[in-house]
Amino acid sequence: MNKPLPDPVPASLDEARVRWAAEYAAQLPQDRETRNRSGIPVKPLYTPLDADPSRYDEALGFPGEPPYTRGIYATMHRGRTWTQRQLIGLGTPRDYNARLLDILDKGATAVSLIPCNSVYRGYDMDEVYPELLGTCGVVVNTADQMDTCLDRVDLATTSCAMNDPLPFTLLAFMLATAKRRGVDWRDISGTSNQSDYISHFVANHMFFRIALPGSRRVLTDHVAWCNAHAPRWNPVSVVGQHMQQAGATPAEAMAFTLSTAIQYAEDCIAAGMSPDAFLPRFTFFFDISISFFEEIAKFRAGRRIWARVTRERFGARDPRSWRFKFHAQTSGVDLTRQQPLNNIARVTAQAMAGIFGGLQSLHTDAYDEVLSCPTQFGARIAVATQNILREEAHLTDVIDPLGGSYYVEALTDGMEERILATMADVEAQGGMYAAVRSGYVQKRIGESARAFQAKVERGEQTIVGVNKYVVDEDASARPALPKPDPSLMRSHLAGFARWKAERSRDDVDRALSALARAAQADGANTFGAVVDAAVAGCTHGEICATLRRELGFGQPLVVV
Amino acid sequence: MKRDLPRGDDAAAAARLAAIRAGDRGAVARAITAVENGHADAAALLAALEGDLGRAHVVGITGPPGAGKSTLIAALVGECTRRGRRVAVVAVDPSSPLSGGAVLGDRIRMSEVAAAEGVFVRSVASRGHAGGLASATRGIVDLMDAAGFDPVIVETVGAGQSEVAIAALADTSVVVTPPGLGDDVQAIKAGILEIADVLVVSKGDSPLASATVRDLKDMLRLRARRGAWTVPVVLTAATRGEGVAELLDVAARHAEACGRGRRLAGAVQPPGPHDAAARVATLARQDAFLRHCALELLDAGPGRATLAMTVGAEHLNFNGTCHGGAIFALADSAFGLASNSHGPVAAGIEAHVSYHAAARPGDRLVARAEEVSRNARLATYRIDVTRGDVRVASFGGTVYIAARRHAPREAATPAAGARVPGPSS
Amino acid sequence: MSLRPKVLVTKIGLDGHDRGSRIVAAHLRDAGMEVVYTPPWQEIAAVVKLAQEEDVDVIGISSLATDHLIVPRLMHALRDAGLAEVGVIVGGIVPDEDERALLDAGVARVFHPGSSLDDIAAFVRDLAARVRSARFPA
Repeated sequence: MNKPLPDPVPASLDEARVRWAAEYAAQLPQDRETRNRSGIPVKPLYTPLDADPSRYDEALGFPGEPPYTRGIYATMHRGRTWTQRQLIGLGTPRDYNARLLDILDKGATAVSLIPCNSVYRGYDMDEVYPELLGTCGVVVNTADQMDTCLDRVDLATTSCAMNDPLPFTLLAFMLATAKRRGVDWRDISGTSNQSDYISHFVANHMFFRIALPGSRRVLTDHVAWCNAHAPRWNPVSVVGQHMQQAGATPAEAMAFTLSTAIQYAEDCIAAGMSPDAFLPRFTFFFDISISFFEEIAKFRAGRRIWARVTRERFGARDPRSWRFKFHAQTSGVDLTRQQPLNNIARVTAQAMAGIFGGLQSLHTDAYDEVLSCPTQFGARIAVATQNILREEAHLTDVIDPLGGSYYVEALTDGMEERILATMADVEAQGGMYAAVRSGYVQKRIGESARAFQAKVERGEQTIVGVNKYVVDEDASARPALPKPDPSLMRSHLAGFARWKAERSRDDVDRALSALARAAQADGANTFGAVVDAAVAGCTHGEICATLRRELGFGQPLVVV
Repeated sequence: MKRDLPRGDDAAAAARLAAIRAGDRGAVARAITAVENGHADAAALLAALEGDLGRAHVVGITGPPGAGKSTLIAALVGECTRRGRRVAVVAVDPSSPLSGGAVLGDRIRMSEVAAAEGVFVRSVASRGHAGGLASATRGIVDLMDAAGFDPVIVETVGAGQSEVAIAALADTSVVVTPPGLGDDVQAIKAGILEIADVLVVSKGDSPLASATVRDLKDMLRLRARRGAWTVPVVLTAATRGEGVAELLDVAARHAEACGRGRRLAGAVQPPGPHDAAARVATLARQDAFLRHCALELLDAGPGRATLAMTVGAEHLNFNGTCHGGAIFALADSAFGLASNSHGPVAAGIEAHVSYHAAARPGDRLVARAEEVSRNARLATYRIDVTRGDVRVASFGGTVYIAARRHAPREAATPAAGARVPGPSS
Repeated sequence: MSLRPKVLVTKIGLDGHDRGSRIVAAHLRDAGMEVVYTPPWQEIAAVVKLAQEEDVDVIGISSLATDHLIVPRLMHALRDAGLAEVGVIVGGIVPDEDERALLDAGVARVFHPGSSLDDIAAFVRDLAARVRSARFPA
C-alpha cells in the first residue's frame, strides 16, 4: 500500500458528490431502482465515500493471506493460471477416451468425467431403457470400462475430476485401474465432484441412491478413507452450482453452500477427525451467472467468510484449511436456445466474472449445451474462449484486478452481509441437514426461482433473443447434434453381458456381502468396502443396489 | 361448461355400475370426476350404488400442515399392500384463494406405493366451494367403498372449517401431530382433538416425541370418555416404518368396537325452513346475552341466521370506534343461532375473527351466518359482518353436535333412511 | 361450477432437474388449473396409472437431459390403457429432429427453453378443452 486513500475524506469530496447528485437527478429525474439478483440495491455511482480505507487489512489483506478476499494464493493466476477443466462425457468408454485425448491435446490440463444419467441414478446399463444410454455422459459400469476411459492417460500426474456421487464407484473403479497399472494410490489426485449429497437432495434430483442418513454416513466414511489412503484426492466438493441452477440467488447459493460445508465439517469432527486433517481437502464448486459484478463479489465474500469460519468456528490452524478453493462453471441456465451463437458471448462474460472472482478451476459451457449434449465443435470453442481470455486479453497479468474498485468492494461487503443473514436463517433451522429435511431450503430456492422467472416474464430482466431483440430464425441453421451410435452402444451392452457372464461370481458375491456387512456395522468404513468390491469385479449397479438395500433408498425431498 | 358423464341407454349405465363394482380403475376415476364436478348424473349413480356401501373401513387422517400426514399415509398404504388389501386414498389439498387453482402434491410422498396395482389414489382440490367439498368427498368415498377398496383413507389438511367435516366422514378419525406442539396443542384441544378416535405423534425419531405422547395422554385423561372406546396415542416414525402396523391394527380395533359405515347412518334430512326459522326465533328469545346486547334477529332458516346491532356509545373503545368484542359478540350470536337451527344442540368449539374496517356510533351492523358444512358430529359456519356494502369483519367457527335435541320444539321427524348428499349452500 | 383443467406435471426417465417443472406447475395453478405434481423419475406405467386415477386432461412431461427419447413409449402405453385422448405436452431441451419424432408419436406440442409461461398456460387450457370435448361429444 504505497498510497493509501486520504483519511479523513476531504470536505471538498463530499461537496463534489452533492453537486454530482444534483446534476444526476436533474438529467435523469425518473431513474429506476436497480437491484441485483440477490436483491441488493445498486447505486448509480460508488466513490471513496463508500469505502472505509482503515479496514483494508481486516477486510481485504494481501493475496495468500487471510481473509483471502484478494485471492487464496500469493501469486494467483499470474503464477499458475486456473485449471482448464472441461466436463465431458458421451457414449461408450472408447468414445469418451477419444474425446478426452482430443481435449487434452487442445490445451485442457486436467481430466474430467461425466457419466451417463443411468450411472448417476445407480443403475447398470442393462437396467434402463437402451435409448437413454450414453446420451448425456459416458456409460461406465466397471473397473475394466474405466481402464478404457482413461487409456493413455497418466494417472499419477493427471488430476481427475469425477462427477461421481456417493458411494463413489467411479473413484473406486479408477483406483482399481491404478492398482492394475501399478500406480500408487497416494499419487492419485483429483476431486469427487458430486460428493455433496445435500445439494442433490435439495436442488438436483439426479443422484440419489441412498437415504439421507445413510448418505451422511457414506460421505463421512469417504473423507476418512481418502485421508488415510489417497491423501492427494479431494473427497468433498461442496456444490453451490446445483442450488443456483435450481433458482437460488447468488447470495443464497453461496450461503447454502457454506452452511453445507459447515455441516460436513461438523460431521467429520463428530466422527473423530481433526479439522486440519480434512479441511485442506475441502473444495467448492459454483455456478457463474451472467450477473457480472455480483458474481465477482459473491466469490470474494465467500472466501472471506470461509476463512473466518474455519479459523473461528473450527479452530483450524493450518492455513491450507482456511483457503476457499473453488471450481466454477459458467451457468447453463443463462444460455438460450434462441440464436445459440449468442451463448458464446454470454459464456465469455460469465467466465470473466469467475476469473476476476479468483477461481482455481474453470469449465466454460459449450454454446450448444442448451440444445442437447455439446458437440465437439462447441466444446472446442469453449476451450478457445478460456485460452483467449487468458492469453490474448491478458486477464491474468494482475492479481484481483477489480480489488479497490469502490463498487466491487462495496458490493463484496453487501453480498457478505446478505450471505451471513441467510446462513443465520439456516443455523436457526438447526443447521443445513435439518433445514433440508424440513424442506426449508427447497422452499427458499423455489421462491427465488419463481421470482426470477416473473422478472423475465415482465421484461424487467432482459434475455436477448427471448424477451427482447427477438429475430425469426431458421431452425435448420442450428448444428446437427451428436447422438451415440446405436450400434456401438449395442455392442457395448453385449460386451457388458459377456463380461458379467465370464467373471468370477464367487469373488463378486463375497465382496458384495462384505459391503453389506460394512454398511450394517457402525464402526466399519463403507467406502473401503466399495473399493474392495470394485477391485473384485463388482459392477456399479451391484454396489449401489447393495448399499441402497442396506441404507435405504433416497427419495427426492420435493417441496411445492 | 361441465364435464359430463357419457350418456347412454340403460345397458350402458348398468355396465358402468358393474365396472365400478368390479373396481375398474377407469370407471371409478370417471365417476369420481362426475361427483367432484357436481354433475346431475352423479346423484343417480350414487343412489344406484347405495346397496354396495358400508363394507370399507373409512379412516380419516387429519393434522396440521407439516405433521407428516402424507408420509404416514404412504407407509399405511405400503402396509396394506403387504397385507394383500386393496386400498384407496382421497387426498384433499387447498385451492388457491386467488386463482382457484391448486397444486396437488400429496402424491409426492406416495409415488412409490401408489404404483402398486391394488392402490387407488385420488387428489382433490378443495375449490373453496362452501359445503360442497364435504359432500363431494363423501361421494368419492362411497365410490371407492362400492368399488371394493378397504380401507379407504381420507387425508385432509388442518383444523377447523370444512376439513373437519370431511374428516368426520370417517369411521375412524386419526389426528396426526408432530412432536413438540407448543401452541398447536391449543389448536388441537380446541378443534380436531374432539374428533380423534386415534392420536398419532409422527416423526417418532425426534427427541421431543415421547414428551408429546405424554402431554397428549394427560390431555385425554382430562376429557370425558366417549362410549367404550379409549383414545389411544400411537408413536410412529413412518420413514423407518415404525408404528405403522400398530396404527393399522389399532384403527381396525376401533372399527370393530364402533362399527363401519358411520357416514351412512349419521346424516339426517334437514328440517324445513319454517321449522328452522321458528326454532331460531325461540332460541333468540331465550338468550339473555342477546337481549342484553340488544341484538335484533332479522332472518333465519336451516343453517342460517341474520342479526343486527346499532353501534351506541356503550360499544365504543378508547379510539371512539366500535369495540372488537362487541362485533365478535354479534357474529358469535349469529353463529350460535345458525348452528342450532337444525334441532340438535350444537356447542361452539372453535371460532376466529378478522376485522377489516372500523364501525362508528350510529352504524348499523348486520351479521349473516351461513353453514359451510355439516355432518353428524361437526359443522362449520362463516359469518360476515357488514355495514351497508362495507365488510367490517369475517368470522368462522366450528360446532360439535350433541346427541341431544333442543327442548323447546322438536323438528319434524326426518324421513327414515333418507340420504342427503350434503347441506344445501 | 366452472370446470378447471386438471393437469399432471411430471418427469419420466433418469434426469431429476425439476426447476422447470416446478415453475410450470406453480404457474398453471396461478392460471386457475388443478395440477397433480410428482417427483422426478416416474416409471411410465406409474404415470399411466396416475393419469387414469386422477382423470387428468393433460400430461406435461419435463425433459432436460434426453429423457424425451422415451416419450413415444409413454404415448404407446397411454393408448394401450385406453387413454389415447389425454393431451401430452413436452417441455425442456428437445433437439429439432427429435421434436418431429415426438409430434409424430402424438405429442400435442413441444415447449422449448424461453417459452412464455402464459403461452404454456393458454395452450394447456385449449388442449384440455379439446380433450374434454373429444371425451364427451355434445
